[in-house]
Amino acid sequence: MAIFCGKGGVGKTTLSLALGLRLAGQGRRVLVVSSHPLPELAIAVSLDGLATHYPVAARNLFVVHIDPKELLKEVVERNFPVEWVARAVLNSSIYQNLVEVAPGLKEFYFLARLQALAERSAKGVPSYEALLWDAPATGHFLSTLASARNFETFLTGPLAAAGGELHRFFSNMADVAVFPTTTLEEMAIEETLELCDKLAAGYQLRPRGVVANLISPLALASEAEWESLPAQGEGALGFALDRGALERERIAALRRRLDRPLVGVERIRYSRNDLDALHQIGEALGGLPGWL
Amino acid sequence: MRITVYLGTGGVGKTSVAAASALAQARAGHKALVLTIDPALRLRTALRLREGVLEQQVDLEPAATGELWAALLDVRATLDEAVHLYAPAALVQPILRHPIYATIADSLVGMQELMAVERIDQLARRGFENLVVDTAPSRHALEFLDKPMFFADLVSSNWVRLVGRTYKFVAGSGLASLGRKSIDFYQRVESILGANLVRQVLDFYSIFVSIAEGYAARAEKTVALLKDPAVTEFRIVTTPQKAQRDARYFVHALEQRRFRAGGLLVNRVWDLPAEGIEAPGLAGEALEWYRAVSRAHRQALDAVQREFGGRLGVIRALPELARDIDGMAALERIAPLVFP
Repeated sequence: MAIFCGKGGVGKTTLSLALGLRLAGQGRRVLVVSSHPLPELAIAVSLDGLATHYPVAARNLFVVHIDPKELLKEVVERNFPVEWVARAVLNSSIYQNLVEVAPGLKEFYFLARLQALAERSAKGVPSYEALLWDAPATGHFLSTLASARNFETFLTGPLAAAGGELHRFFSNMADVAVFPTTTLEEMAIEETLELCDKLAAGYQLRPRGVVANLISPLALASEAEWESLPAQGEGALGFALDRGALERERIAALRRRLDRPLVGVERIRYSRNDLDALHQIGEALGGLPGWL
Repeated sequence: MRITVYLGTGGVGKTSVAAASALAQARAGHKALVLTIDPALRLRTALRLREGVLEQQVDLEPAATGELWAALLDVRATLDEAVHLYAPAALVQPILRHPIYATIADSLVGMQELMAVERIDQLARRGFENLVVDTAPSRHALEFLDKPMFFADLVSSNWVRLVGRTYKFVAGSGLASLGRKSIDFYQRVESILGANLVRQVLDFYSIFVSIAEGYAARAEKTVALLKDPAVTEFRIVTTPQKAQRDARYFVHALEQRRFRAGGLLVNRVWDLPAEGIEAPGLAGEALEWYRAVSRAHRQALDAVQREFGGRLGVIRALPELARDIDGMAALERIAPLVFP
């Protein structure tokens, strides 16, 4: 299982889909769990033409959104096999309000489903070879992880036991590869560093690598190449050099403060459509440690 | 009273644009305040924002005819203030110390939206006439308007009022004064969710209900202000790559809720001259790369102009600023481009 996490707008969804497309294209069954409801995801990224242009990927790529409310509904239906009783509970305002205000409850059921999907198998064969979680933005991601730990700490009974098991699953490096993702904006970098600290302190999770997304070609050019460039320029060249210098400074700062591998993904300069962009980004993800 | 709400997905520079818009209002002679959620360090320093400080006037150089104020939406501080203001004195400490209170206040999920509306009310009471509101970075940002109403519905429902006032008594005595059916439901729900959790939430509600009722009443008033086109205008901030999709999504979401969509600001546009200096080798490759991105930006801007030029009053492009400009200098540079 791989998790793309980080600040809103850094490209977690795009990277998850791009990696999913690449792995599925190699014939591996991949499930992408998106934090966006599918109709909303369809507005953001169009997979039109998948079956025509990437037939192998189309057979192996699955995208879902898990709605915690639906999960809780299933729990109720399991507990009350008589349909009208289950419906009465679900429709009661007591139940609806409790579910809405109980802190962490929905996040907790979400995690449990994620673990179940990761471990799902038929006749000993895992249903998915890779599960990619396009996680919600940092705050919500951390509070989702925290819900498992909190349920173990604060409660007793069946939920607490399940919470303990979940907490252990998500703290296990062998099962879960976390890839904090950032752009080279100041805030996104700060948030990424903070996220790495919190993952290590709260969950013993050490990111497998950090992804620097939407970088320019000068950001990762070698020192010798950079030295060979003119010191300054006018117009477009000036902009390119300024921007390049800024990105190089920020990459250097990231490297100084992180002891994890850094994977750079260049901004796409031109794509015919979303699928083409995802394909290009998937190629750029070649350096993702331990994943390809 | 005039309210401008900035909407946009993450990473589009919404906070800077909102702050620049408040600055433009101050320069036009108004007492303007920008309510921000989570500004970058340098912007935070420029606006002199600190945790725990409710609002802060920003010194302007040269001085403006109006005033610029900045406030941070500190969820915990706003909620604490509401408890102190509106809870009966005897309940203030029991609420602040309740374990569920801590969980609710600290889990950011949903609370930012609820507290933004509370904060707008608090600021309006303090006499700020021009408010600029930065919203949580999400396509769901409009939940900031849906959630308070949900909360209002929740606390005004008979169930919560009844439970809030009587659950402890019922639970303690075992008397079925709520009626057999309700007790039955409690037990069923407890068997699924765990008795402990249910009791804690109900216990919290039994003491929090006085605040919640007040909150609901204020939220309804504030949302009415936000719905009033004479008072409030919503503006969408986006980047070139996202412009068309964001515009479609937010314009539709605003129209659905009958809010006034006042404009679209396309931020971080790379507007590079197409002609001019050529360079050899790596510099030339980089240059070509930057020009290609710049061309794509221009095409995206044209597309959004064509589609929304008639429907959205104003569509503006804001350039990506060079590296040596940030803080107040950056805001001063953008302010004239953001229509006040």
